[in-house]
Amino acid sequence: MIEVKDLTFSYGKDKQALHGLNFTVEDGEIFGFLGPNGSGKSTTQKILTGILKGYGGEVLLFGKDLKEVHAQEFFRKIGVLFEFPYLYANLSALDNLRYFSSFYPKEQLRDAGEMLDELEFKKDFLRKPVSTYSKGMRQRVSMARALISSPKLLFLDEPTSGLDPAGAVLFRRIIEKERRKGTTVFVTTHNMLDADLLCDRVAFLSNGKMKALDTPRNLKEQNSNHSIVVDYLYQGRREEQKIEIQELKAGIPFPCDELLSIHSQEPTLEDIFIRYTGRRLS
Amino acid sequence: MKSMYSLLKKDCRMMASGKFFLVAFGSLLLYTLFIHFGYLNFMEDNADIYPVYLYDPAGTYTQVSPLIHSVTSEEELNKVLAGDAGSGVGIHVKDGKPNIVLYAGTQKVDRHRADYALSLLHSGSEYKTETIGDNTPEMKQRREITCELLFIEIVAVGFLGIASVLFKEKQMGVIRVHAIMPLYKSLFVCSKVFLFLLADLVFAVLMVLFNVGFQEAGGILPAVLAQTGILSLIMALTGFCCAMLLKDFKQFSLAYLVIALFTATPVFLSANTAIKMEWIIYHPFYQVYMGLKNAFFGMPVTSPVYYIGAACVIILLFGITTAAFRKEMEKEG
Repeated sequence: MIEVKDLTFSYGKDKQALHGLNFTVEDGEIFGFLGPNGSGKSTTQKILTGILKGYGGEVLLFGKDLKEVHAQEFFRKIGVLFEFPYLYANLSALDNLRYFSSFYPKEQLRDAGEMLDELEFKKDFLRKPVSTYSKGMRQRVSMARALISSPKLLFLDEPTSGLDPAGAVLFRRIIEKERRKGTTVFVTTHNMLDADLLCDRVAFLSNGKMKALDTPRNLKEQNSNHSIVVDYLYQGRREEQKIEIQELKAGIPFPCDELLSIHSQEPTLEDIFIRYTGRRLS
Repeated sequence: MKSMYSLLKKDCRMMASGKFFLVAFGSLLLYTLFIHFGYLNFMEDNADIYPVYLYDPAGTYTQVSPLIHSVTSEEELNKVLAGDAGSGVGIHVKDGKPNIVLYAGTQKVDRHRADYALSLLHSGSEYKTETIGDNTPEMKQRREITCELLFIEIVAVGFLGIASVLFKEKQMGVIRVHAIMPLYKSLFVCSKVFLFLLADLVFAVLMVLFNVGFQEAGGILPAVLAQTGILSLIMALTGFCCAMLLKDFKQFSLAYLVIALFTATPVFLSANTAIKMEWIIYHPFYQVYMGLKNAFFGMPVTSPVYYIGAACVIILLFGITTAAFRKEMEKEG
């Protein structure tokens, strides 16, 4: 679906934003693009969505060079959720969706009301202006705008930002559902939980360079110290011991009366990110 | 076509929610009331225009109109003219011939004033006044003031109107959403410019009908609309471009002040007062203003150079505006 070769971009003479990125995103994959502010995430997404021109290297989308694709045809196939919910504040949710969907062919459009329903949008607000909505409600309308044209390739920038935990769960469920339909999803995020729970593969970006690219599971395994910490009671005393996973094959290698808890020492994606880039995500 | 219709519908709603139509209607009402109950009454009360001063050392003219004020020296003549720079006319009789003297700043002789002054020198029907138009003084004033107010409306309100709509869209971030929409980006510019052009044309028609009169309107409307169209397109595109390049409405207001200062002020000063500026003929707004004024007096611009020049300016502005719009779409959130 996406093939990027030696992608470079510069905002000026001394402002090299991307230093030769290489990656591919398969059809139907959820691909996470992780990096702190200024790492080049947005620049990459803008190039992939056809907003930014003048890049170096090669970008293939839908099997065609992005420089040669017909813009209108390309935009009909993609959906983009921006980091902030950009909507007409004086129009209602339905009017916003009707307006933005009017640029697409009718046959690829989904029903706006159904979309908002799926996103658990409060019905009382359907005809009220967006200016009266909470951030979570605006984000739901923005998500509906991104999905309404049934895109084959979906770009999501911080999809769960501004949502409460239940809203975040709902969004992740909807993204999963889209993938099951065959949509390819490119997620740009700071949120490690989103990346971990959603993405098939993640790429770590720092200072315009790709530092790592793999599945979250592989990254964790490769960076794990393969040990666990056991919390237990022995002769009435509470104790803690770190043991190698290999040692577990023969059972608990020390005397204990009662096991209280076992803690996996698997690093989080954030720990791994810091390990690869030397920087925190946020 | 479908995209254009959606854009037009949305822009119409943006203009309505920004109270643009209300402001335009208010301006129309205010201007009409001012012309009918303020300006025309004021001009009527000050109908004794053009005080004429005569310096005739040899006493060549013995039977002059009682409206002429005689002076005794050339210095006195210059002094009274300096104090009456806006409308006073001096006649200095040298070697039996009357020479028209106007305030030092006015080098081109105002034919209307000169003719009036010379007519006062002769009694009865000795002097045949040249007819330079069939307008009554009231009609002349109506046309003049309507032209001036229409010019101000388009330069100020139209320009600010398009910018205020765009700054709202910038603030909402929706311009960026259009970057990923399957539509030709230039349509976004066209839709707004078209609506503001339409609003200005409707405004011009109503201004002419209400203030010049229904009977006179037919003869001048096509030319007035042509000039209004040119000015409206230039102002709307300039307003669009400034709104894209400047950060917020505060910055825009400052820029607008500068633009107003450099466009409207010298044009009005040059066209309506005795202040003379050699370079003003190179000022594009002076040409457009004079084009509009001539249209109001039934003398439309016929020079193809003028229309080719206007078309080139509009095309250039459209190119710059579209580029500025694309740049804005690329910006960060």
